This record gives sequence, structure tokens and C-alpha cells, in this order.
Amino acid sequence: MRGLLLAVLALSVFGCASVKKVESGTNRLGERFTISIEGAWNQLDFPGVKPAQVWTMEGVTVDEFLIFNGIRDGEVMNSKSGNGKQQDFVFRKSMPTEEIVSLFEGVLSRDNAVFKLIKIEPYPFGGKKGFRFEYERIRKTDNVQLRGVGFGAVDGGDLFALLYHAPRLTFFPRHQARVEAIAATAVIR
Amino acid sequence: MKRRTFLAGATAWGLGLVSRPGRTADDLGYSAPPRFTRPETSGEEGGLWALMDREERNLRRSPLIVRDGDLQSYVQDIACRLGSDHCPDIRVTLVRTPLFNASMAPNGMMQVWTGLLLRVENEAQLAAVLGHEIGHYLQKHSVERLRDIKSKSAIGQVFGLFGLAGAVGQLAVAASAYAYGRQHETEADRIGAQLMHRAGYQVGEAAKIWSNLLAESQAAEGKGANGSLLFATHPAPPERRAMLEDIARSLPDGVTGEEAFGRHVQRYLDEWLNDEIKRGQYAESLVLTTRHIARKFALETMHYHRGEIYRLRGRDGDLDLALGDYRNAIENDKPYPLALRGIGLIQRQRGQRKEAIEMLSRYLELAPAAPDALFIQSYIAELNS
Ligand SMILES: [Zn+2]
Repeated sequence: MRGLLLAVLALSVFGCASVKKVESGTNRLGERFTISIEGAWNQLDFPGVKPAQVWTMEGVTVDEFLIFNGIRDGEVMNSKSGNGKQQDFVFRKSMPTEEIVSLFEGVLSRDNAVFKLIKIEPYPFGGKKGFRFEYERIRKTDNVQLRGVGFGAVDGGDLFALLYHAPRLTFFPRHQARVEAIAATAVIR
Repeated sequence: MKRRTFLAGATAWGLGLVSRPGRTADDLGYSAPPRFTRPETSGEEGGLWALMDREERNLRRSPLIVRDGDLQSYVQDIACRLGSDHCPDIRVTLVRTPLFNASMAPNGMMQVWTGLLLRVENEAQLAAVLGHEIGHYLQKHSVERLRDIKSKSAIGQVFGLFGLAGAVGQLAVAASAYAYGRQHETEADRIGAQLMHRAGYQVGEAAKIWSNLLAESQAAEGKGANGSLLFATHPAPPERRAMLEDIARSLPDGVTGEEAFGRHVQRYLDEWLNDEIKRGQYAESLVLTTRHIARKFALETMHYHRGEIYRLRGRDGDLDLALGDYRNAIENDKPYPLALRGIGLIQRQRGQRKEAIEMLSRYLELAPAAPDALFIQSYIAELNS
């Protein structure tokens, strides 16, 4: 009993992350959202990761593939981390695209990272009228410069989006084409 | 090299000193120690230097360093004039972090964060902070502090003292717990004021910094005041302000250097304000931008960014306030492009088709290579159809 209690405590204290391999092929992410993938992606699960799913190719300290699967009106977009003083970023279905991109910017700067939007353009995503954006980010924990790309669309009041970022010199160029290909296979039902 | 820079700076500065009354009458009588030599690595002070040397090498590799030579040498020159004989040992590094902080390590590494540069209003205010930090350095407060801290686990406390980049979150906690003592702070304030005065600056500006920071922290909702690390590391602003005002009365005259300061920071304001707004501390950011607007500093830029703060905060009536600020930012013959965009986007949402098209089109004319050009074009096309 005592042993179990200690184990549970250890889990919560160290934020124990579990990793599971993602199967290649068509992945149904939820009721309404499907993507097709190839390659060795791993899905991470740890307390506070929600609402996004976090996948990684190289390991979570290197690259992150964030999946937002039908964020509802009024739902908080960022994970529940930080010291509680920080701003929560809430999705509203009435938000125009530029505000949704600002939301992602806020979510990705929540660790005090420096964020710079490089490009935003219209993009048909998941068969819906959506958007695509590119960004740079300097991660505050280790000062690594990242490059990122994001895709999204709002359908039926829910937000569907994929974001990928990785160190800009080696890893982002290595995986960008793969991520763009995944985005092209997205289907929102 | 640095020595030469210092002499050149001092000569140019000489003009500002002409009307100053005689030095001896209004001097606090502080005399700085001679320049420090590198201590033996084996001793505790030598160990601290070695640690700071290593941190300095790390810092130099950081992508957050402001690498523009002009601004760096401008701040370096001010530090040099304040440090006087110690000038060759002071190495200023500007760090892009939207918090009010500066620090100086015993090996001469001085950090100035951009959140400080966004908040001070003139050279004299900047000099007050630099002079204070140089005061800690001249009196070797950090070394004394290290001697106070006996245990090995205290290494974090040492880092806390110097505001090392990369650990901002933890730092605030560390800094609040392990600040310099009150006596050191008072001494650093007095020395800072003295150095300011000798360099020809108006000492009264030092107290204004604390008034301004206080106004920001009082506006902050909830726990607030996490924007200023100096609040964490330095005690009781009202008390300090009173003491600084007191000192200023005995060290009158001097210049503020407002115009020169504004000229040097102007082209960074957009970036720094973007960083500031992303902290999500809207109440503080509103006080800051409103203060700069009141003093008519970089009006278009400040109006645009205050508009952004209102838009992002999004309370009842905020969108109208945002519109008002955006309109102020496009009033003169050089409209601020992003303010045109701001008006266009709000009017699009409000169904004001005609003005939305006009504003978004004007935005694209002025900023054809904007990151969102294609996206805005799609909005215009949609509005036109
Ligand atoms: Zn101090």
C-alpha cells in the first residue's frame, strides 16, 4: 500500500511521460479528424499535455508535432503548466483566422519564448477553408532557435490544427516535407 | 580600445558639464577602489569569477543577445562614463527579455535586459540603474554575499544575483529569496547617484524609475509585479524612492539625455513591445504605453501597440479603444502600416465593408512584403465579392 502510494507520488512529481509508437497509415484522431502518416512518430503522454496531442520524431526536447483535434468554443488552448500567473489562451468559434494564429502565438510563447510570424496564407485544410502559417521561435529553456509550420481550419465551430516545430538548422528541413504531406492528407468530417 | 571609447565619450560629454557647479561642494565623497585584478582561481572569489566567465561564454552564444553594435556601444559608453577608471573592465551585454532587470557580475560582465530599455525614459534613468549595479561591483557586494552563503547548495543563489539568461522563470524565485541585503542596496544607490552626478546626469531621474515601476505593479491584477525582477531583488520601492529624492537634492543639475536615448532605442521599439505584450500582463503594458504616449514618445508606435493590447484583452469596449488608438497611429502623413491593418480587420468583423477594404488595401500598399500579404489579399477579395 505504502509502496503504491510512493509510486503514485513519484509519477506525479516527475511528470512521468509515457511514449507510444504511432502506427503508419491512416490515423483517426477523433470522431471528425483523420490524417495519414508515414515514418516513425511517437506519441507522448504526460500530465498537463492536453488539449493538444504531442507527437515527436526525434524526441520531445528536439521536435514537436502538435495536434489540435476539434477544440471547442471556450476551450483553453494551452497546457496547464506554468506558475498560474500566466495568461490562458481561449479559443472562440467567432475568432477570425488572424486571431486564431495569435492564439497559437500566445500558446507557443507561454514559456517566454520569442516568437516571430514569418508567413500566413489561405490554405485548404482537411477539405475546409483554412490557413497555413510559418514561424520562428527561440525556446527559452535552452535558447534553441526553432522553425515551425502550422495548418488549421474551423469547422462547425471546432478548431482543427496541426503544428510542427524543430531546430531550424538540421531537424526542421529534415522533416518539413513529411509534415506538409501529412497536412495534405488531413480530412475533417 | 574600450579605454579610447571612454575618453572620446567623456570629451563629448564635457559639454554637458559646463554649467555644472563645482564638484567638491555637492559630492557625496565616494572614492572608488582601484581597478580589480583577476583573483587566484583557487580562492572563493576566483571561483566566482571562473563561474561567471563560463556563464559569460554561454551568454555570448545566446540568440537572445542584441547584436546590433550601435545600441550596444551606446549603452557600453554610458557604463564606461559611470565606471570611469573601471571602464576597461566593464562588458555590457544587451539581452532580449521583456523584464526590467540589469546586473553586474564580479568579473565585469554586465547584463541589461531590453525590458529595462523599454521602460526608462532617458539616458539619466538608464545611468541610474547602471550606476547602481556598478556600485555593487565596486564594493564587491557579490563576493561578500558569497561569503555569507556557506553551503554548496547556494550556487543557485549566486546565479540569482546576476540574472543569468535562460532561467527567467526560476530566476525570479531565486532572486526574491536571495537578494542583496538592504545595506548593500542603499550603498549601491548612493554610489550610483554619485557616479551619475560625476558623469553629468540629473540624479533626480533615479527616483522617477521607481515611481514608474510602482505605477505598473499597482496596475497589475492578482499577484502582479512579476514584470520587474528588480522588485524581487531590491526592497521597498517607496522607501528607496524617497532616499533617492533626498540624495538628488544634494546633487543638483545635470542632463537627462532624453533625445539621444530615444534616438538609439527607436528602431527596436516594435520588437520590444511585441515581446512585452506577449507576457500577457495587459494591465502593466497599458500603464507603460500610456506613460510613453503622455510624454509624446514614439507616438505612432505606442498608439499602435496600445491598440494591440486593448484588442488582445478584448473586454467590453476594448475594441473601440483599440480602434481609437489605431486611428491615432495613422493620423499623420506617415501612417503606421499595422494600424491600418488593425482598423481593417476590426471593420471587417463589424461588417464595415467599405472602410475594411480601404484600410487593408492601404496596408498592403505600404507593406507589400508583409508576412500576411497573401492572407490579407484573400480578405480583400472576399470583401469585394
Ligand atoms: Zn541592487
